[in-house]
Amino acid sequence: MEVMHDVVVVGAGCAGMRAAIEAFDAGADVAMISKIHPVRSHSGAAEGGINAALGNASEDDPEKHAFDTVKGSDYLGDQDAIEILCQEAPDDVYQLEHWGAVFSRTPDGRIAQRPFGAAGEPRTAYAADITGHVLIHVLYEQVLKRDIPTYEEYFAWKLVVDDGRCQGVIAWDLLRGGLQSIGAKTVILATGGAGRLYTGTTNAYACTGDGMAMALRAGVALKDMEMMQFHPTTLAPTGVLITEGCRGEGAYLLNAKAERFLVRYAPNAMELASRDVISRAEQTEIDEGRGLNGNVMLDLRHLGAERILERLHGTRELSMTFAGVDPIYEPIPVRPGAHYHMGGVDTDVWGQTSLPGLYAAGEVACVSVHGANRLGGNALMETITYGKRVGRHASEWALANTTVEVPAAVEADAERELKALLDRTAGERPWQIRDELAETMHVNFGVFRREEQMLEQGAIVQSLRERYESVVVEDKGEVFNSDLTQALELGFLLELAECMVVSGIARKESRGAHARPYDYPNRDDEKYLRHTLVTWKDGAVQLDWKPVTMTKWQPQERTY
Amino acid sequence: MALKIWRYDAVKGERALEEYEVDAPDWATLLDVLDIVKDRHDGTLAYRKSCRMMICGSCGMRMDGAAVLACKTRMVDIAESGHVPVISAMGNMPIVKDLVVDMNPFWGKIRAVQPWLEPGYSDPGEKEHIVSQERMDTIHKESLCIMCGCCVSECNSMEADPDFLGPAALAKGMRFVGDARDRATVERLQSYSEEHGIWDCTRCYFCQERCPKGVDPRDAIAKLGAEAMREGIDSDMGARHAKWFVTSAKTTGWLRETELVPKTQGIAKSMKEVTFAMGLLKHGKVPPPFPPHVAKHVDEARALYDIVKQEGAQGAAGIVQSEHALARLEFVHESGAEERDPYGPDSFPEPLPPGEGAGQ
Amino acid sequence: MKTVAYYKGCLASLSAKELDTSTQALAPKVGLELVELEAVTCCGAGDIHEAEPDYYLHLNARILAYAEATGADTLMTVCNVCTLNLRQANHALRGDAALLARVNDNLVSVGAPPYSGGVEVMHFLWLISVGEGYELLKGAAHKGLKGLKIAPFYGCQILRPSKLLGFEDPDKPESLERIIAACGGEAIDYPAKIKCCGFPIIQAREDVALAELIQPIEQAKEAGADAMVTPCPLCHLSLDAWQSKLRKQTGKDFQMPVLHLSQLIGVAAGLDSSELKFKRHVVSVEPVTERLAI
Repeated sequence: MEVMHDVVVVGAGCAGMRAAIEAFDAGADVAMISKIHPVRSHSGAAEGGINAALGNASEDDPEKHAFDTVKGSDYLGDQDAIEILCQEAPDDVYQLEHWGAVFSRTPDGRIAQRPFGAAGEPRTAYAADITGHVLIHVLYEQVLKRDIPTYEEYFAWKLVVDDGRCQGVIAWDLLRGGLQSIGAKTVILATGGAGRLYTGTTNAYACTGDGMAMALRAGVALKDMEMMQFHPTTLAPTGVLITEGCRGEGAYLLNAKAERFLVRYAPNAMELASRDVISRAEQTEIDEGRGLNGNVMLDLRHLGAERILERLHGTRELSMTFAGVDPIYEPIPVRPGAHYHMGGVDTDVWGQTSLPGLYAAGEVACVSVHGANRLGGNALMETITYGKRVGRHASEWALANTTVEVPAAVEADAERELKALLDRTAGERPWQIRDELAETMHVNFGVFRREEQMLEQGAIVQSLRERYESVVVEDKGEVFNSDLTQALELGFLLELAECMVVSGIARKESRGAHARPYDYPNRDDEKYLRHTLVTWKDGAVQLDWKPVTMTKWQPQERTY
Repeated sequence: MALKIWRYDAVKGERALEEYEVDAPDWATLLDVLDIVKDRHDGTLAYRKSCRMMICGSCGMRMDGAAVLACKTRMVDIAESGHVPVISAMGNMPIVKDLVVDMNPFWGKIRAVQPWLEPGYSDPGEKEHIVSQERMDTIHKESLCIMCGCCVSECNSMEADPDFLGPAALAKGMRFVGDARDRATVERLQSYSEEHGIWDCTRCYFCQERCPKGVDPRDAIAKLGAEAMREGIDSDMGARHAKWFVTSAKTTGWLRETELVPKTQGIAKSMKEVTFAMGLLKHGKVPPPFPPHVAKHVDEARALYDIVKQEGAQGAAGIVQSEHALARLEFVHESGAEERDPYGPDSFPEPLPPGEGAGQ
Repeated sequence: MKTVAYYKGCLASLSAKELDTSTQALAPKVGLELVELEAVTCCGAGDIHEAEPDYYLHLNARILAYAEATGADTLMTVCNVCTLNLRQANHALRGDAALLARVNDNLVSVGAPPYSGGVEVMHFLWLISVGEGYELLKGAAHKGLKGLKIAPFYGCQILRPSKLLGFEDPDKPESLERIIAACGGEAIDYPAKIKCCGFPIIQAREDVALAELIQPIEQAKEAGADAMVTPCPLCHLSLDAWQSKLRKQTGKDFQMPVLHLSQLIGVAAGLDSSELKFKRHVVSVEPVTERLAI
């Protein structure tokens, strides 16, 4: 073990940086490890906003926020976790503003809030359409102010587990090469999602589920892994995100006949229904031949140039660059794309996992505040509120416990495993496996799911995992070997795909993002108002269930 | 399509220009093409990437010598023209491998501007600071920065003086100087006005040209200059140089060229330049200051100065006030046509009112 | 004959009078009738934009207003810095009616004419490197440059920011090359032709400026140039007058003659030496004039 800290945060997006700041302020020696520079993190790509019942645009309160979130989750969210989020959200947003976040403003100079999908009030605080960008930079500023050490461009690969506790991380130094073990009394996973399991995804190349897979390999359970959200407005072919803020500002969704087709699916909320509902509506229109080249149209024209330039400037830039369409004059062709993993590492409301010393916050975690379907604007809020909570708990725990041990054998095993991979010269390079995985997941585990397709996907993932056993890394060098790290990422993704398929097959109902219209079209609260839970035992996935925590809200029929 | 890439092996210290021929779809960006090269041709190729949607700032590099974000650069037109672009690492930063540069000097300069809000003693209480949108707009452009380094790559001043803070760090500085909530304005302006700061900018406008996000770093530096002047932080030679232009304009109307050197450098330093000045004098490059060359109706320029000082947009606001109009110019520039009918005959039809569709 | 309002700017009135005399002499030969503006001031050279930006806007609005008052639709500049400053102000005023109204109120209150937005700011280079001006130029340059190797130096503020200038590709400009070719010269290509000459900081940060300045001169020399040409009197001043400082600092004596654009064409068009005024250059132009036997 070369270095040691009280708290090590893996990942430096919004959740990771917020956790590190909280741990630092609590007096802990905290460091961050990130495979990309903190401001490159994918939190920065969040566009539309962050939900908190500030009441700046209407009468609002945390309870309304909580109810919208519970209903949005299709009742799979844990209500204690949701209540905490919604209660703490306003102060946490004010905190960001005090740190300097450049929020858009109301005419009276307060933080501006816009309507968002499935929200009863205009609750989404925003900075034009670059809210995530603004937040990631304000958090990085606070990290610099505190001079929190950051292992930049270190690829975290393994958790160190000894004596029944997580005691550190083993990481590959991208710039210089070589493995380094970093001891820690507590480790916080804040590595984000795994959208790279799909071809059409809003997620960055970095979103390869590293933290989920590391936790799984350390024996920790993952929860609700079948719950992958498809965002209704992404650009063909690669899935670049077009913000829900467009619809918050009043944009229409049209089919090829210029109909606002949502009148048939969500007649009250229309374009501001929840994401799962809209993605299914779009997919139905497209499947039934009312799409346009596999897309529906997002129409902003009636908003006018001034409003688009002021509030949706980034969106215009994206659609001009990637779709060749200027939304001032033409509707943007959009389709559902993989966006957000509601599932993740199973934690309690302080981010603790079943492994002492290991915590998780943000998209990597499943507390669960999002259940079967996340509301737009709740992800950024979760990163901040739960990042803070987890940072606090992990630092308190670390400051109360003293010893850290990274056994030499653990380091030696990692070195040996890496050497075996690098020494292999005959075999397949990873990219074909990666592409096949993402293409088949999109077809077989997408917006709508069929039993036989999920079974088929299980077999495909199995065979891809077998091929992965003999994968070859072409770059044998030490310096910036992204060929190596991309191969390791693929290993993570393959295991997560298997967890998703097993969980998906087990959930024989339709709830939130898990839609099975052909065999189980309805929600079945009697059997499935509970979380799936998967662990990795002897090279295979084991499935279990966990009850949903209910406080005030009983399941009701969910319409928009 | 074909492209050439400057490869660099840091261990051996070798550089080589290699050509690749790849099949790429029409929609491919430079980043997509590099991915194809790495997957199918050479797994050892190194470059940074992440979001592929112009917000994370990872993939700054040069194409044909000009810094670009690889994910923002569509390749179809280049491929069709038959041109073979040359891809290389960004400038003004040491190369680590292939297209990956060492950005530590870059981040060091960002740190040097103390890039965090200094809230001072004004306590906003339990809720947010009250700040108007108009006031926030002062730092709108600066807060768009994604720290990709494209501006720094091409900065002519930094090439000549590696210690120059540079466009990204100074734009970040303006993001705080212009923030109504920050209370360290004077300290910041004093520090940014030192050597290697605001007044080292040579106004080559490469940063403005290359920035993929419309930050306009040169304008940010000008805003810092304007704020420094407003705060009376004007002892640097660069500041005195700028001030002399103002004095000239309101006295004679034209630049009082001969007096510029002593007014900028001070009498003592400018005396050392006598030999040089005599050389210029011989060729009429030192026009005699007396009688002064006075513009007709210069009283108008003097009166305008008084009006502006009384009621004009002071400091950086004098630049920000033009941004709305200039952004509209950019909008026209990008879309190629000022006025198009979004509902014209060739457009996608107007939405039908809900419930009137044939799909009911 | 196209009538344009002619804005000399500071240097052509003062230390670079040769730019003014050669431009005035050349104009009728390339189809331009110049109406010289008298009641105007300095554009601020980027310095007033930085020191007192609102004053900068007013001064430039006033220049535009006087140009408009001549009845011409074009304001011709002979300096990169004037071009950028005036175009920037023009765009800001034309794109924002409220801003234009405030500035006009102030102009009128001091006795200047108001500006209605009817003037386009064009550099002399732009007017003669395409279209009718270019055709006339080809005819006027009858004496030619006899294959002289000329290094075109654009400088910065005639190319960048291209969204304000936009005349040509800021990375691959060719207007100067076209003119050199039309005059019978051979254009030399070198990377620093679009980079900075260091002028804006040559007094405040001389070392930094000289490290910039040396690049184009050295590259032009290495590429075998007989002379350099520039459309900007500020670039001209640093390239010409500060060469001696480069010699002092680096020991390299380039002896590179530097011509104003109007002088280069003027030579090919047979202008009189009283109009070209080469004696006003610090680096001798004799090697060029001798080659051309003038």
